[in-house]
Amino acid sequence: MKNNIKIERAIHNLTQQELANKIDVSRQTINAMEAGKYVPSTVLALKVSKLFGKPVNDIFELEAGD
Amino acid sequence: MENFFYICLYLNFIIMKTNFLFPYRLKYVSGILFAVSFILFSVLYIFDKFSEFEIKARVFAIFGDTGLSENLFGNNVYFNWIENAVTDEILMLFVIPFGIIYAFSKEKHEDEMVAAIRMRSLAWATIINYTILLFGYLFIYGFAFLNVLIAAMVSQLLIFIILFRYKIYRFYTIVHEE
Repeated sequence: MKNNIKIERAIHNLTQQELANKIDVSRQTINAMEAGKYVPSTVLALKVSKLFGKPVNDIFELEAGD
Repeated sequence: MENFFYICLYLNFIIMKTNFLFPYRLKYVSGILFAVSFILFSVLYIFDKFSEFEIKARVFAIFGDTGLSENLFGNNVYFNWIENAVTDEILMLFVIPFGIIYAFSKEKHEDEMVAAIRMRSLAWATIINYTILLFGYLFIYGFAFLNVLIAAMVSQLLIFIILFRYKIYRFYTIVHEE
């Protein structure tokens, strides 16, 4: 699964730590999500989309292998 | 019968819905107690001369044999009190509970990624542990096999703790990418 959390984060001018605090996870989790090493749960994906004010589909995208 | 069904359903609900972990504040205390008692247990087990320090006590045995006799099955006792060296029992009473508490207490920043790492470590620890046990079962015979069985009492817990700590350490020391 691909995501553009990093881009959204830049648009909203947030650091990884700030984003992590807002959605109640560790900075390392944000880092792993941005690097595509971790697929978040539905709850976490919805939290991200709520924070950025965009539908989940605009932030997370299925890849060919999924 | 119906009551039993509902009890099972309720227990299942508890197990599925609550991600039960011990509180974070128990982590350090239990970790230290686990390490100390585990080292003491290993020392007691490896070096025979420490058997001089054994504490003798009367213990309740569901099943026990009171030593060697002419008749191999002569000295078995059931549901009775017997004399036994309890040093190892006392240490095990520390190793297992504190090992469990240490292994399954919350991280400082508990989140779903930590839960995922814990789950993965647990799966790998189980696979590695049984691989070692199978190897021991196939290639170690006689009285030496008793060592394998004793190691098996704590090996999975120990492998899990080492694996999980290593993975969490790696997770927290990821290079900062802003």
